[in-house]
Amino acid sequence: MTLLDFFTNHTFRMVFLGTTIIGLVAGGLGAFAYLRKQSLISDVISHAALPGTLIAFLAAVSLGLDGRNMVWLILGAVVIGVAAVLGANAITRVTTLKIDVAMAIALSVFFGAGMVLMRIISNGDYPGKGGIQDYLFGNASVITYADLITSLVIGGLALGLTALFWKEFAITTFDAEFAATSGFRPRIVDPLMFTTIVIATVIGVKAVGLVLMVAFVVTPPAAARQWTHSLPAMVTLSALIGAVGSAAGAYLSIHISVTTGTAVPTGPVIVLCLFAMFVISLLVAPGRSILARVIRRRRALRDLRAELLSEANSMVDPGALNDPADHESGSSVIWTDAPTTSAPATRPPITQPAVIEASATRPSTMHPYPPMTDTPETQTPGHRLNRGERL
Amino acid sequence: MSFLTGVLLLAIVTALACSLPGVFVVLRRDSMLVDAISHAILPGIVVGFLITQDLRSPVLIVGAALAGLVVVLGSEYLTRSGLLTGDAPQGLIFPALFSLGVILVSMNFANVHLDVHAVLVGDLNLAAFDQLVLGGVAWGPTYLYVMLGVLILNAVYLTWQYRRLKVTTFDPEFAAILGARTGWINTGFMFLVSVTVTAAFNAAGAILVIALMIVPPATAYLLTNQLGQMIRLTLLITVVGAWGGFWAAYALNAATSAGMGVFYGLLFAAVLGWVRSREGLRRRGARAIG
Repeated sequence: MTLLDFFTNHTFRMVFLGTTIIGLVAGGLGAFAYLRKQSLISDVISHAALPGTLIAFLAAVSLGLDGRNMVWLILGAVVIGVAAVLGANAITRVTTLKIDVAMAIALSVFFGAGMVLMRIISNGDYPGKGGIQDYLFGNASVITYADLITSLVIGGLALGLTALFWKEFAITTFDAEFAATSGFRPRIVDPLMFTTIVIATVIGVKAVGLVLMVAFVVTPPAAARQWTHSLPAMVTLSALIGAVGSAAGAYLSIHISVTTGTAVPTGPVIVLCLFAMFVISLLVAPGRSILARVIRRRRALRDLRAELLSEANSMVDPGALNDPADHESGSSVIWTDAPTTSAPATRPPITQPAVIEASATRPSTMHPYPPMTDTPETQTPGHRLNRGERL
Repeated sequence: MSFLTGVLLLAIVTALACSLPGVFVVLRRDSMLVDAISHAILPGIVVGFLITQDLRSPVLIVGAALAGLVVVLGSEYLTRSGLLTGDAPQGLIFPALFSLGVILVSMNFANVHLDVHAVLVGDLNLAAFDQLVLGGVAWGPTYLYVMLGVLILNAVYLTWQYRRLKVTTFDPEFAAILGARTGWINTGFMFLVSVTVTAAFNAAGAILVIALMIVPPATAYLLTNQLGQMIRLTLLITVVGAWGGFWAAYALNAATSAGMGVFYGLLFAAVLGWVRSREGLRRRGARAIG
């Protein structure tokens, strides 16, 4: 299958463009959920979207409208999704239960209600009820041109909202208390922000399914975070990773399906593509990845060894040990039996701590202390051993 | 034993097997990890099914539980790396494993009866279909005895590890000072949770297992602040909720596990409302006296 074949086929084009838009919107807006440390809220939202879409379906059908129209489905999912998020937050406010329990309760109870509704719909006589089960796993091949326009408009709306309230979102994300005392009302900013996260989540439910949507919201920001230290760059990069991963996954799944003859679902392939991009970022991104840390640690160790060696060489001069500071600070000076006759002036120049040398040799893009902090690193890169501290 | 009684018993035993370890899951703040485990076991189930050709085989349950453990240990590793924040590590691994499972199913099992939908949603009636007949007497669903085994396993393990679990749950640092191997205790416990989730997916479905595991202990947590009392209340709430949910689902002609999930939710809301109103009364009473 050539690229021309791919893009001249209407269904393939719809799948490709539809999932790319979903990846772009979910990735960009997911960055805020990630930085607020509430990524899993998108899992609650996507599961709560099931009863939301089904209620919307029932309401639309009973009004004589098309129950499969994506506008109704998104509307229902957004309303019920926001209700689930607010419900989970309310549980943590009025009880001593923690957010993880509250999220688990909201997720499972809303999903259970969705399953009950699904049974009622499939037992009843409703026009267009076929395919309603697709919402569990999604079906990218049913994306229509109208769906594409709908997700473009709604996704654009959510991104526009984020751009409009950029300052408020940023300040609330990093320091909610400061934001509140500065006059940004959390009662207005929080629901607004959660609404954009809800839109990011429900926009893909029809194509990707509710089970896997969490990956679209969590994975791109986690990958983007490894490459950058600034919020605008992170949101942009996260959206790009989401879009590229989705496009690659959509192409790959269609390519495999066409060439091998077995239908491979699009959503799972996209998730694996996104996950691969995340793993690569975690391993090799400059500055804070696992590889960068190994290099930094090794460099610091080398510098430390060099320093200790030069120091040990200078120990030949016994006067080096007669530093009054040593007697004050450390009782564990190793060479206490050394004679204490020479003047302190003969003390050899102790080199600067290894950590500063290590950072000096580092390229300027790698900050030893990034401005955005995640979980504090338990070990500072290149721990400096004080004189007298035992190795 | 009639079919209906068998299904009802299966529902109650499954619910008890889930909520007993759930007490510690809630207290250890690992609730969303159950969600991750319940999705991540899918590739384990697929591979296990490929080997055993039987969805109820104990080999399959243990194999799938190991896949669940991958999520637990993997997200722990990612958290410790310090490169990720918040709850993102949990949300990163399980969708990837689940996707792997879905792709495996679509590539290998096009003509074999293993439906991803069935794994996620589960059907108690289907699980109860296979009846155990010994000596010409029907002893109820075979799966009832599998779940009874899991329940007993949970009870024995929790009794044996009770003190260790208690100290690592409430004060992990103190436990480490005492010399408890917190890492191993945690891994062992999460493996037990993983086994329970895997065994219960057949009856309840992977997602609603979370309801069975988390909601009753959370409800009990609202009523007491003592561990022993919390366990007793959890068991009571589980039995009441499972019984009520079963009949509610029966009346609505809905899936039993879904009905149980919703009924649990209502029970939680009712208890929360009652506790709140009692607190309000006490506060008002105190003000009247003061």
